[in-house]
Amino acid sequence: MTRKLFIYSTLVFWIMVAGFGMTQVFWAPDDAGVVQARETIITPAELAGHATPEDCWMAIRGVVHDVSAYLPEHPSRPDIVLPWCGKESTEAYETKMKGRPHTPYADELLAKYRIGMLGKAP
Amino acid sequence: MHPWRLLSIPLLVGLFVALPVYWAYPDDLSFWRAAGIVLGWVGSGLLLASLLLMLREVRLASWLGGIERMTCWHHWTGLAGYLLLLMHPLALAAAAWTESPPLAWQLLSPVAQNWPVWVAWAALIFLMGGLITTFASRLRYPLWRWLHGLLGIGVLVGFVHVLLLGIDAGTVFAILAALLMLVWRLIRVDAGAAAKPYVVRSVRRVAETMVEITLAPLVRGMPAEAGQFVLVAFFRGPRYRGCGEYHPFTISAIDRDQQFRIGVKALGDCTRRMQALEPGVEARVQGPFGDFLLERPAKPQLWVAGGIGITPFLACLRNARVEHATRLLYLYRSEADAAFRDELETLAATHTGFSLEARATGDAIPDLAAILPGADELTGHECYLCGPPGLLDAVGHVLQSRGVPAAQIHCERFDFR
Repeated sequence: MTRKLFIYSTLVFWIMVAGFGMTQVFWAPDDAGVVQARETIITPAELAGHATPEDCWMAIRGVVHDVSAYLPEHPSRPDIVLPWCGKESTEAYETKMKGRPHTPYADELLAKYRIGMLGKAP
Repeated sequence: MHPWRLLSIPLLVGLFVALPVYWAYPDDLSFWRAAGIVLGWVGSGLLLASLLLMLREVRLASWLGGIERMTCWHHWTGLAGYLLLLMHPLALAAAAWTESPPLAWQLLSPVAQNWPVWVAWAALIFLMGGLITTFASRLRYPLWRWLHGLLGIGVLVGFVHVLLLGIDAGTVFAILAALLMLVWRLIRVDAGAAAKPYVVRSVRRVAETMVEITLAPLVRGMPAEAGQFVLVAFFRGPRYRGCGEYHPFTISAIDRDQQFRIGVKALGDCTRRMQALEPGVEARVQGPFGDFLLERPAKPQLWVAGGIGITPFLACLRNARVEHATRLLYLYRSEADAAFRDELETLAATHTGFSLEARATGDAIPDLAAILPGADELTGHECYLCGPPGLLDAVGHVLQSRGVPAAQIHCERFDFR
């Protein structure tokens, strides 16, 4: 019985993984559900005003993101992420895990929180 | 079995699961994401409990109700942990799917540049590989044992995955606990640090493919009782080269000066080699384990032995007279396999209240419905069974169909893979 349970569960697992993989190939892009950026210009001073865990903006690759709602779900320890609230964080974002950037998954997730472009200081 | 011993393993497993889940329980997350996290921690807790249950310490085994029970729970906690860990990434992918379907694959994809995901896949592959070999019962035991160790590596790599996610406080503790249990098992059990040195004093052939070996302690012996079993490995002798693996053997007699005897039947490569054992061979012994036949209630008894399964009953009869009406049904394949039958017939002739029925059955399981006593003869009996698992299952099924409650059927299986 245990042998059958192992075989069938492992097969179902691989079928589901393959199913998720097929999604990548066949799913038509649909950005309807993604929050579209309001291309407002946000100055560094304005960015710096959002530097708390409850109100956390980060500028990455010139785009400002309001990640307050996502922070509780971020897998890393809070003390790794929170110091970057209110700051230009591209380098930290690109050098996760000893020089490795975040995944494409993280990039797509990040896009959902986009609120504007980082402007220059007046 | 005492209720505390019955509850010991479920309580322990519950603790191994509840602690990490309580510590890591997520707040305010979507259902699938929270489910993914909880599944990961419950699976990890079950695998840690499974590691604890593979230890072979005499006192631990006594607290937890015996090695056979520990092995059974080791199998189930290991498999359940694996199943939940398969569901862990799928639930997280389901959470990503609710955001955007392509994100689900981004989260799972092993080709993404992401160490935590790479390591998670490595852990799953180790667990799958370990379980494939675990269920490959035709593998030779030494190879099987080392491939089974892939599961231990899988557990450690799985915790490294958690560590790479930045969750380090409890995870470091879990890695240390897993390492401790794996090293403990390797050193104390597999390398034999917990074993005591003995020497083969004599070897007597008792059937075509079975010998009875007398072992004498080189230092202080162990306080074994008739019917218990020990793990024994044999090494070098004047002309003999042992395989050095620890195998379980029932004590068939306890002699003077802390010497004891074990019955060894040629069932595999290593036990086949043991048929050529000679006096003077070094041995190491772990145990004693088990309480089969030790605390029998004051009731009439039916004993059923299949082949080598005769040894605990023989030890009991050699050690003392039976106190209650006892009927022994001894089943063996052929007359050449009827080990100890002459001695048992002598014991039956001299022990009041003890009767013997010895039968050659051939290679197939015999017609047990015809051989076993009827329902009226079994009323109020305690039944003790020892032998091959297939025979024990079949005998247990017939006994239950004849009204013997499961609590009154006691088995000794020796199926520790």
